[in-house]
Amino acid sequence: MENKTMIFNAVFIAMLCFLSGCTSVTVDQVKHQKSELSLGDSIVVIGRRTGSDYETEADLISCIGSALSQTNTALNVIPENDFVDRLYPWFEARTAPIHVRDLNRLLSYEKISKIIDDYQVQYIVWVDGNTERTRSSGSISCGLSPTGGACFGFGTWDTKSEYEATIWDYKSRQLVGKVSSVADGTSYMPAIVIPIPIIAPVQRHACKTMANQLNEFFTIN
Amino acid sequence: MRSHTEIIVIKLKVLLVTLSMSLLLSSCTSTVDISGHFPSPVIDRLPYSIGVIFNKEFSDYRYIEKGEKRKKWEISVGDAQVEMLNVVLKAMFLNMEIKSNFQNTSGNTLDLFFQPNLESFQYNVPYETKGNMFEVWLKYNMKVYDSQGQIIADWVLTAYGKTPSEFFQSEEAALNDAMVIALRDLGAGLSLKFTQVPEINKWLKMQEKSSESSIEIVKNNFVNQIVLGI
Repeated sequence: MENKTMIFNAVFIAMLCFLSGCTSVTVDQVKHQKSELSLGDSIVVIGRRTGSDYETEADLISCIGSALSQTNTALNVIPENDFVDRLYPWFEARTAPIHVRDLNRLLSYEKISKIIDDYQVQYIVWVDGNTERTRSSGSISCGLSPTGGACFGFGTWDTKSEYEATIWDYKSRQLVGKVSSVADGTSYMPAIVIPIPIIAPVQRHACKTMANQLNEFFTIN
Repeated sequence: MRSHTEIIVIKLKVLLVTLSMSLLLSSCTSTVDISGHFPSPVIDRLPYSIGVIFNKEFSDYRYIEKGEKRKKWEISVGDAQVEMLNVVLKAMFLNMEIKSNFQNTSGNTLDLFFQPNLESFQYNVPYETKGNMFEVWLKYNMKVYDSQGQIIADWVLTAYGKTPSEFFQSEEAALNDAMVIALRDLGAGLSLKFTQVPEINKWLKMQEKSSESSIEIVKNNFVNQIVLGI
């Protein structure tokens, strides 16, 4: 009998560990012209950080880059940090080109154009947006005593990820298209002695769908 | 008479309470020693030698939060701002030396002296901001002197950095990131706008050391005007 209870508890805890909140994702795409990549060409994914009340997360940019490389091994994705550091201070929040026409001005400086040429960059992908908690409710109380600690209660919160990627053709200095990804999800945290987070991986889903969409966006020759 | 097991249980309880108390006490003050990576800027060097004077107040700058309604923070900025300026100024000038005063050493004439001063440091943590972010503002007073120690330019340079709070990231790490972004912003402002400070621009135009120097200055101004549109 005791064994059965222990097995039931173990299965229950294991199930809770694998549970995650639900997420829905909407993807949209606009393509103005062909977006072809030849062997050896690279793309760079950079976060746009000009928003006054939000910041495009660095880990989201890195997630998109990794997901793109994993989905398509022929695609050469330059890590954001490498690119931005190598071209410091021209791609910082306050100095980065805002419009595609600003690239012409930037590239009139020989040192910059040489570095970008060395990277063999064909497309620059600017990702703008963020993930934020839109609603939260419930409460959890925790207590600590010399005999131990315990929590009790229930909490829930909604999260929304909204990102838009703008793709520039570095060689033709033109706007190629835009891809957007909007994800919503609800997370739960019941607490009976210990809090058990059931997190909706909203940002991760937004990242993966954005990467898949970008992967379809480019045609590799 | 208590048994050996009872004594061990009591000792463990005392240890648990002590640990809990020390954890609570240590969480009262957050200490951050700012550190980060500061890349060398891609710019054209000015053909001059500069001596940089970091006074003790600047190189040891430490912000201690005294606001009663705010969490206690101790933020050491000195080392990071000195490191960033070392990298940026080395890229801006043909030669850069750290000096303790305005004295030119024999045999190695410096054209300029540079002295930065951090006038104001402000920060916000997520519960104080609408956007759930860590924000940092820096206000510097920059002074440039000629080889004789006479002041040429005195201007204010501001910098800003922000970073979103993340689920598994500590407050200290997030504030460090915001501070590094602000210092990078400072490096960008200094390296790209230095020659556009009116007094410095005037001094540069007066310098006609050699035809090569003139070409370099013109080229540097051209880059700022073309790329930044200023």
